Amino acid sequence: MTAAPIRDVAVAGGGLLGWSAAVALRRKLPALRVTVLPLAPPPDALIERIGSTLPSIVDFHGDIGLDNREALLRAGCSLRLATEFDGWNGEGSAYVHAYDRHGQPFGAASFHIHWVRQAKLGPAPAFDQHSIAAAMARAGRFVLPQPDPASPLAHFGFGLTLDPVRYAHMMRAYALHLGAVERAGALAGVRLRGADGFIEALALEDGSTLAADLFVDCTGPRALLRGALDQAFEDWCDWLPCDRLLFADTAPSPEPALLDRCIAHGAGWRWVSQGQTRTSHGLAFASADMGDDQAATMLHGVAGATPGEPVALRQGRRPEPWLRNCVALGDAATLVEPLEWTNLHLAHNAIDRLVAMMPDRDCSAVELWDYNRQCAAETDRVRDFLALHYVASARDEPFWHRARETPPPPSLAHTLRLFAERGRLPFYEEETFTRDSWLAVLLGQGRIPRHIDPLIDVVPPAESARAMAALRDSMARLVPTLPTHAQFLDTLQRQATR
Amino acid sequence: MAARRVVIVGGGTAGWMTAAALTKLLPGRCAVHLIESDAIGIVGVGEATLPHIRAFNEKLGIAEADFMAATRATFKLGIEFRDWGRIGDTYIHPFGTFGPGGGEVDFHQYWLRLKQQGMAVPDLDRFSMACTMARMNRFALPTSDPNQLRGSFGYAYQFDATLFGPYLRRIAEQMGAKRTEGRIVAVDRDGGSGNIEAVRLESGERIEGDLFVDCSGFVSLLLGKALAEPFQDWSKWLPADRAVAMPCRTEGAVSPFTGAIAMPAGWRWRIPLQHRTGNGYIYASAFTTDDDAAQALTEAVEGEPIASPRVLRFLAGRRARSWVHNCVGVGLASGFLEPLESTSIYLIQAAITALLELFPDGEISPIDRDEFNRLIDLEYDRIRDFLILHYHATERAGTPFWDYVRTMQIPDSLAEKLELFRRRGRVVKYREGVFLDASWIAVYLGQRVIPDGHDMRADAPAAESLIAGMRKLSTDIEGIAAGMEDHAAYLRRYCPMKEDA
Repeated sequence: MTAAPIRDVAVAGGGLLGWSAAVALRRKLPALRVTVLPLAPPPDALIERIGSTLPSIVDFHGDIGLDNREALLRAGCSLRLATEFDGWNGEGSAYVHAYDRHGQPFGAASFHIHWVRQAKLGPAPAFDQHSIAAAMARAGRFVLPQPDPASPLAHFGFGLTLDPVRYAHMMRAYALHLGAVERAGALAGVRLRGADGFIEALALEDGSTLAADLFVDCTGPRALLRGALDQAFEDWCDWLPCDRLLFADTAPSPEPALLDRCIAHGAGWRWVSQGQTRTSHGLAFASADMGDDQAATMLHGVAGATPGEPVALRQGRRPEPWLRNCVALGDAATLVEPLEWTNLHLAHNAIDRLVAMMPDRDCSAVELWDYNRQCAAETDRVRDFLALHYVASARDEPFWHRARETPPPPSLAHTLRLFAERGRLPFYEEETFTRDSWLAVLLGQGRIPRHIDPLIDVVPPAESARAMAALRDSMARLVPTLPTHAQFLDTLQRQATR
Repeated sequence: MAARRVVIVGGGTAGWMTAAALTKLLPGRCAVHLIESDAIGIVGVGEATLPHIRAFNEKLGIAEADFMAATRATFKLGIEFRDWGRIGDTYIHPFGTFGPGGGEVDFHQYWLRLKQQGMAVPDLDRFSMACTMARMNRFALPTSDPNQLRGSFGYAYQFDATLFGPYLRRIAEQMGAKRTEGRIVAVDRDGGSGNIEAVRLESGERIEGDLFVDCSGFVSLLLGKALAEPFQDWSKWLPADRAVAMPCRTEGAVSPFTGAIAMPAGWRWRIPLQHRTGNGYIYASAFTTDDDAAQALTEAVEGEPIASPRVLRFLAGRRARSWVHNCVGVGLASGFLEPLESTSIYLIQAAITALLELFPDGEISPIDRDEFNRLIDLEYDRIRDFLILHYHATERAGTPFWDYVRTMQIPDSLAEKLELFRRRGRVVKYREGVFLDASWIAVYLGQRVIPDGHDMRADAPAAESLIAGMRKLSTDIEGIAAGMEDHAAYLRRYCPMKEDA
C-alpha cells in the first residue's frame, strides 16, 4: 500500500463530541475534508449528558481558538472549582477535591508531609483547608487564576459546567463555520474492504454511501463503526462496581455553584451539579444491591423530580480504541462513571492525540500502537483514581465492604503501598490528576502514611503549624473580598455587551 | 529515633557525593562512616556531566564559581558527535531546545516540512542557542525565562573528577562524616536475615552499620561480591568493554562542549578542562587490541600527552537490583553505561536522590527497596536505548565493529521509537527520563534518521511566513551568541583555577 496522506475524514455522531472532534480536525488540520454524520446521541452516551468538566476543557477551547468567555455566555456554561465528597467515609464525613496546589512549599519537604506530621501529632485542620480554590468553591467566590506566580490565587485550575445540548449547538455552528460538512442521514451499515478489513464506506439508509480515509466513531457505547471491527473490551466492574445510572434535571438554582457534590449512599453515590441553565441530579448504583424502583425513589426524594429511564453502564475500555482506519472516541472508547468528571476530559485528550498523530492512509501499526499506548496509560490511571474513592472508603453497607475487599488494580495497589509507607506517590505516564488531587482524595478519605519524608527534619513541627495557620488566616481574609460567582458572570456579560 | 549507622564503602566520586548528600540533607538521621583505600585508585578521568548536577550542587549549598575553580571546570553546552552517521558528519546534541520552546508543534516539524517541500533551509542546529554558542565558543549563563532565547539552553560542567571527590569530602567531613583509610578484607552477614552486619579491614578493625552503600566501583565489593547480585549483561548491544585514557595539554580553544568522535572500534572522548584536555578511546576488545587502541588514540589526540595511555576494563549492564537487603549500590558498583552521553554522574545522583527520599526509618521496608530499584532500573533502561541508538543509526560500513552494531538486533522498545520517527518525525513522549525530545531529535537527525513525512499540523502556516520566521530566528540566535563572552575569557573572569594547582 502506498503511504499517502489522509484527506477525507468521516465523523459519525452528532452530539457535542462529534462536533468537537470536527472542530479540532478542521481547525488544526485544514487540509482535511471533514464530513459529519450527525446521528442523534443515544441516552447512554454519558458525555452528552454530564455537564461538569475538568480544567482541561479550558485548554481545549484555547487550542481550537474558542474564547472561553464566548463559551460561557453563548452556551449557558458556568464555572466550577471543586467537588465535595460527602459520606464516603461514613455519614457526616466530607472533604473537597479542588484543582489546586494545597499549601505552600516551605523547607525541603512537600507541603503534605508537613500536614501529615501535624495530623500525626494531634487533631489538625483538614488538608482541604489549605486550598484557596476549595475555600472559594465553598464560599461561592470566583476570580480567574492570576498570572503572577507569587499570588496566592495563581495555582488553581477551573472547569466549566456545561449545558450539553446548548454546547453541542455551539460546537456544530463552529464546525460548520470552519468548513466541516454535515451529511444528514441514518446509518444502515458499515462496509469493510475485503483485502485488509479497513472500513471502506458507511452505508446510509437512503441507499447512498459515505466513503473516507479515516472514520471517527462518536456514536456512544455501542460504537456503531468501531464495533464493526471487533468487540474486544476490558471490563472494570470489579473495581468500579456501579453498573446503572439515573438522571433527573430540575430548574436552575438562583446562583450556579462552583462546587459539585458527590454523595455516597448504601449502594453507590449520587451527584448534584448546579449549572446556569439546570440543576443536574444523578444516581450511580450497583444493580446487585439496589433495584431500579428503589433507586428512582431515592433520587426523586432528593431531587424532587421524576428521573428518566435507567441507563446501563458497563465500565471499562477498548484495548485498542484505534484499529485500522477507525478510531473510537468518548463513550465508544471508554465507559466510566462520571465520578470526578473525566468523561469529556478523556475524549478531549483523545482528540488532541488524533490530531497530533494523524498518520498516513495506511494507518501503520507503529503509529496506532503509540496512540493506543498513550490512551491506555491515561485511561487506566483515571480508572485507578476513581477506584481509589471506593478502596479508601469507610462505610458499612455490603456494597462498600465488597468494594474495599476487592484487590485493586496492580498500579493502584502500588500507589497505595507507597503512600501508606511514607506518603510518596509514584510517577506514572499520562496521569490526569496531579499529585495534589491524589493527596486531596487520599488524605480527604483518611489515609495517613506510616512514616514521613526524612527531609522534613530541618523544620520543627511548631514552625510548620505556624506557617499553616498563617496560610489559613490569609485565605480566610482574602476569599470574602472576591466576587461571587454570579457577580463574575454578570461582569462578563456586561463586558460582552458593551 | 536512633540515628542510622551508614557505612559507605569507597571514596571516589560516588562515595563522597553520597556522604556529602546524606550528612548535609539528613542531619540527625544518620551517622556516616566512609571507608576508602589509598591503595585502590579511582577511575575518574575527567568527567563531563549533565545539567542535573547543578540541582545537586545547589542542594548542597555549593557556590558554582568556587566549585568550578576547585575542580578546574569548564562549561558544557552539549556534546559534539563526529563521524557517527558517516565519516565527515558532525552534529551537536545540545542542552536546550531547537527553535523557541513552548510551541504547540515541535519546531523540527516545520523544518522537516520545508525540507520535504524542497526548500533550502539551514541545518537544524542553527536554531539552537546552545549549538550556536558551542560552535562560536561563547558562553553566558542562561536567563530564568525559558521562553526567551537567552533562557532556551541549559548547561553542565566538564571537570576533573579526581578533584570533585576531595571537594565534597571537605563538605561531608565538616558535617560530621567519619573517614577511615583501609582495605576491606571480609564482609560479615547475619545468618538469618542475610543483611550485612559489618565489614572488616586489613588492620583488623570491624566496622558495623545498619545501612551499607556500595561505592566500590567496578569491583562491586558488597553488592556484586558479598551479596552476589546477578549482573545483566548488555554487551550484545553495547559491545565496547575497554577504554584507554590519556590526558593532553589543551591546544586551541577551550571548547564549551564535550567531543565524542567515532573510531574504528568504538569512539573517543575529548573533555576540555581549564588546565588540560581529557582524552580516551572506548573500544570493543572483540574488534581491536589494547595496543592498537592505544596507538590509535595517540595518533588522534591534538595536544601533547601529559601521561602515558592507561587501560580500563568494564562491561555494559546493571545489577538485577541495586538495593538488596541493607546494601545500596551507587555508581559503578550498581551498573555501567559508557560515558557517551555523560550519564555516569547523573546515575550516581539519581541513586542518591532516590535514597534520600526513601531513606529507611527503622527497619528497611521492602516497599521502599522495590521502589528504589524500580526508579533506578527505569533510568538505566532508558539511557541504554538512547546509547544503542548512537551505534545503530549509522551508515558506516566496511569496518567489522560498525558492521556489527549497524546490523545487530536492537531492543523492541528502541525499534518502535526509530520506526515512529522515520514516519513523521515523532518522538515517543515520556515525561520522566533524563533525555527528552530535543535530545532524541538531535541524534536522529544528526545520524541520518530522516523522516519520510511530518506532523500534519505543521502544514497550517504559509511557507513564506515560516521561512521569514526561521530567518529571523537564526539571525537573532547568532546575534545573541556573538554578543556573548568567549568561553575561555568567561572562565578566567568567573572561576579561574589556582595557578599553582
